Amino acid sequence: MNQQVQDAYIVAATRTPIGKAPRGMFKNMRPDDLLVRALQSATSKVPDLDPKLIEDVIVGCAFPEAEQGLNVARMAVLLAGLPQSVGGVTVNRYCASGITAVAMAADRIRVGQAEVMIAAGVESMSMVPMMGHHPSMNMDIFKDENLGMAYGMGLTAEKVAQQWKISREVQDQFALKSHQKAIAAQQAGEFRDETTAVDIVERLPNLATGKIEIKTRSVNQDEGARADSSLASLAKLKPVFAAKGTVTAGNSSQTSDGAGALILVSEKTLKQFNLTPLARFMSFAVRGVPPEIMGIGPKEAIPVACRAAGITLDQIDWFELNEAFAAQSLAVIRDLGLDPNKVNPMGGAIALGHPLGATGAIRSATVIHAMRRRNLKYGMVTMCVGTGMGAAGIFERM
Amino acid sequence: MSNFIIKKVAVLGAGVMGAQIAAHCINAKVPVVLFDLPAKEGPKNGIVLRAIENLKKLNPAPLGDKDQAALIEVANYEDNLELLKGCDLIVEAIAERMDWKHDLYKKVAEYIAPGAIFASNTSGLSITALSEGFKAELKERFCGVHFFNPPRYMPLVELVPTPATRPEILDQLETFLTTTLGKGVIRAKDTPNFVANRVGIFGMLAILHEAKKFGLSCDVVDDLTGAKLGRAKSGTFRTADVVGLDTLGHVIKTMQDNLASDPFFSLYQTPEVLNKLMTTGALGQKTGAGFYKKVGKDILRLDFATGNYVAGGGKADDLINRILKEKDPAKRFAALHASSNPQGQFLWAIFRDVFHYIAVHLATIADSARDVDFAMRWGFGWNQGPFESWQAAGWRQIADWVKEDIDAGKALCNAPLPAWVFDGRAGVHTPQGAYSPVHNAYVPRSTLPVYQRQVFRAPVVGESAAEGKTAGTTVFEDDSVRIWHQNDDVLILSLKTKMHVISPGVIGGLALAIQEAEKNYQGLVLWNTDAADGGVFSAGADLQSMLPLFMSGGVKAIEPEVAKLQRAHQAMEYAPVPIVAAVAGMALGGGCELLMHAAKRVASIESYIGLVEVGVGLIPAGGGLKEAALRAAKDAKGNDLLQFLKNYFMNAATAAVSKSALEARKMGYLASSDVIVFNPYELLHVAKSEVRAMYQAGYRPPLPAKIPVAGRYATATIMAQLVNMRDGGFISAHDYKISAMIAEIVSGGDVEQGSLVDEQWLLDLERKAFMELLNHPKTQERIMGMMQTGKPVRN
Repeated sequence: MNQQVQDAYIVAATRTPIGKAPRGMFKNMRPDDLLVRALQSATSKVPDLDPKLIEDVIVGCAFPEAEQGLNVARMAVLLAGLPQSVGGVTVNRYCASGITAVAMAADRIRVGQAEVMIAAGVESMSMVPMMGHHPSMNMDIFKDENLGMAYGMGLTAEKVAQQWKISREVQDQFALKSHQKAIAAQQAGEFRDETTAVDIVERLPNLATGKIEIKTRSVNQDEGARADSSLASLAKLKPVFAAKGTVTAGNSSQTSDGAGALILVSEKTLKQFNLTPLARFMSFAVRGVPPEIMGIGPKEAIPVACRAAGITLDQIDWFELNEAFAAQSLAVIRDLGLDPNKVNPMGGAIALGHPLGATGAIRSATVIHAMRRRNLKYGMVTMCVGTGMGAAGIFERM
Repeated sequence: MSNFIIKKVAVLGAGVMGAQIAAHCINAKVPVVLFDLPAKEGPKNGIVLRAIENLKKLNPAPLGDKDQAALIEVANYEDNLELLKGCDLIVEAIAERMDWKHDLYKKVAEYIAPGAIFASNTSGLSITALSEGFKAELKERFCGVHFFNPPRYMPLVELVPTPATRPEILDQLETFLTTTLGKGVIRAKDTPNFVANRVGIFGMLAILHEAKKFGLSCDVVDDLTGAKLGRAKSGTFRTADVVGLDTLGHVIKTMQDNLASDPFFSLYQTPEVLNKLMTTGALGQKTGAGFYKKVGKDILRLDFATGNYVAGGGKADDLINRILKEKDPAKRFAALHASSNPQGQFLWAIFRDVFHYIAVHLATIADSARDVDFAMRWGFGWNQGPFESWQAAGWRQIADWVKEDIDAGKALCNAPLPAWVFDGRAGVHTPQGAYSPVHNAYVPRSTLPVYQRQVFRAPVVGESAAEGKTAGTTVFEDDSVRIWHQNDDVLILSLKTKMHVISPGVIGGLALAIQEAEKNYQGLVLWNTDAADGGVFSAGADLQSMLPLFMSGGVKAIEPEVAKLQRAHQAMEYAPVPIVAAVAGMALGGGCELLMHAAKRVASIESYIGLVEVGVGLIPAGGGLKEAALRAAKDAKGNDLLQFLKNYFMNAATAAVSKSALEARKMGYLASSDVIVFNPYELLHVAKSEVRAMYQAGYRPPLPAKIPVAGRYATATIMAQLVNMRDGGFISAHDYKISAMIAEIVSGGDVEQGSLVDEQWLLDLERKAFMELLNHPKTQERIMGMMQTGKPVRN
């Protein structure tokens, strides 16, 4: 089975700040522009690496249409000023698009068919809503065995909460913790290494003067974390996905805008350009689960990824478990017996936001830099995926 | 001709009244700038911005379309007074303090454009005193313009001139208020609290006084003085709680301060119980306690004797209920007058007090008895004015009884009834006009040209004016409809059924009216004779009348009736002469479908329109969903049809009803070319004008065309959302079934996207689904529940 001929190393991993959607700081920032910024920042981290050697740019995006449509990967390659010889491909596995892009890029190197790859992710939920602009369903999803395909993500979280008996209080506590951890990490400057500042330029009509006002500002911090969150304020929110449910806007991930990019190279390239590897990509796994309880997906994918990496679950020091919902996060943590202290030590998507297809790339940057700062060995990025999947990728700090 | 057009209004003061008046201007497409003080912190126009934000939350809604709140221009007295120069009408609505108002007037006077009208919305301060210090030229353009809360919904506006006010200013303002803002205008004299509050607050004080005297509790009084007397359902004390006891106290204070020589002066003392409530901060609804206090689910009443809150729910005695149900007012009053029951004596007493009061004060507060009656009807929501009640009950007999009570010391003061009461008259309202003691004459109705727009004016008891029910020439009449005309070239169809439900008789009448209009008239207007008096356009299909048919022939017997309704609506749509629906009040279910098939609609701003069939487990099958598909296709113009269908689908699937004509337009039930009328008395005039204009312009009905439909994937996409609603427990399995059927019909059925269908195709889908549902036990449960209790069954 194992056809690997060489290892894939990450030499750059960065991401933009995450903006709230649809009315946050990036509401007028095109996702292709966000992606360009992430690509340019990543390449600038390895100035010695000849960009002509980049084989391909693989970009994850969950709703690749409109402003992030066409082939946003190739568009961004050109807009970023990368050599025209560099390829671009957009991949979609919803929330696991970004980590899938990393895995696919790594694999090109690992089978020996590429020396330098870029993996990235991008999503503007401000500009392209969930389901996209023109959702259209197949009649066959209403057959009993397919009905879960019609379930919105929130309802699947309700189903997990019901089945795993996860109370509203526990979900709210988890959500509050996410905010508290995120705020603490922000105050300690823990996101600094992974974050690329973004200049926002907005052109707005000034009706009084008849002129176009150009507003420019630079942002470098995620927008979603709330220092004023409390159990009392969370308890006030009404369930939105089920009349008698427990899942609220407060214990669900936020809709967001953002992009992330990583540069992966072979050992040969490391040596050739004298590059410092940040991490080695070890393994990736994906598993399907019933779509109506898609949130439990990581439970199936995580052990497979560990096996593929040849390590045990308890060897993982840091989990970036995407908090699509508190309910599914708690179910996964409980069923796999994860140490809560190792899960999202800097907060998760409930506080920081979840720009769907970008999240895998963004959280890869998070875990890679966090392991370096704290001198840890193995880290994982994992998430549940709409229509019933779980995905997990494992990195080893270098 | 000469036009007087108000191009822009300024409202000074963004309090409850000022902001709502500004909102109503926006409803009526009158540009308005709203002023208040500059905010001390934050954005300079913060006070006004907050008031505008609050407009979106108020219930009942001041704005017909909340999204239009941003159309109110914001301003403050420090930076923006220049804006006043561009306004033709300036309404001051700041707090009721003479000194504050004078200060503001000094500040704004130089910015008021020459020729602009300046008016105060004071509820009781002297207009003449307010105008002191003005230059003579401004005095001529100043008057009182007193709106009632909530100004969108309460028709009354009292116009109060000073001796210096130029008459044409009042005429111009009355014209604007009447037709543009749709208000009912009376002219009041510049006396404290003017007419409506003077009589209305007196009436409340009298009720408090008599309730104490006869030992009645506030819940019983409210049951006696609410709907049973044809007044606000909330009665007396509950209304006071809603208005706010501090506000009430304030208005009473105005009477204390300014009416020392009034023979009823002793009654103007703030009642002890009210004083106590105010000092403890129990100011009514806004503070959670007043005459009533809500504790959990219970509403407790104040016990006058102990000041504690105790269990409420007291009702009128059966005996009194029977008396109040008596149709003949003479018999009703005689029974109350003769009653030994304390509740009966109480009711007689409060009527006697008001009759006494209005007779004594008519000469000083109003020009004629009609203005007093309209003031109470339009400003306090009474079905009948006090002079009307008196006259209807037998003028002389009532007068004698009132006099007896005065002589016996039972009345609130001993001021005698004026001599004119006993001059042999049968009342104050006659075909010549309403009595004016000052002129000792009967004053005819205003002849301002604006009233030519009202084919039938608001009726008054005893005036014997022509009524819509009987006026004109009848072409056909039965129990269901009257087809008639005013001896001109526009035919009128008026529904006679209860709540104007659509019965087989109405469907037949509609077909007949269309035939007749086609042969002999320029067009047809659908207008109900109670349109301006709170009537509904139509409450929908007449379920009751279908029942015998259903019992004898089952569901199959109903199908031909549905087909007949569909054909009638199609005949309307394709009639060779224009058909205009004059809409006011509720137009639900079949009523909504009826108006959707007219060539044009003229709708009162207070139009509550919706396809509500799902409430009884059915779907619209009179072409309502066919119209949804057709309109969405027109809106989409070849773009993604589903985006345009969603709105129509949601409206039908959730039985959404518009809260205004503006909202109905957004929902797609009214077209952008339809006319919104602010004064419901103008509906018939405007509808007829539209028929004539359309006829003159060479009206042709639409050409039948094929309709592109969204098809089966659109159905699936909508259904996917419904699955989430169902499995999330928001809707029942039967709701899901009905909604999925609606989705399929508006998408054109189980066909490919972009398929071309005709109207009959969609109508057949409607009918088939309707029949399937009618056969469904859950739907039958909903229908029976609605017929038995009038409330929707959730199953």
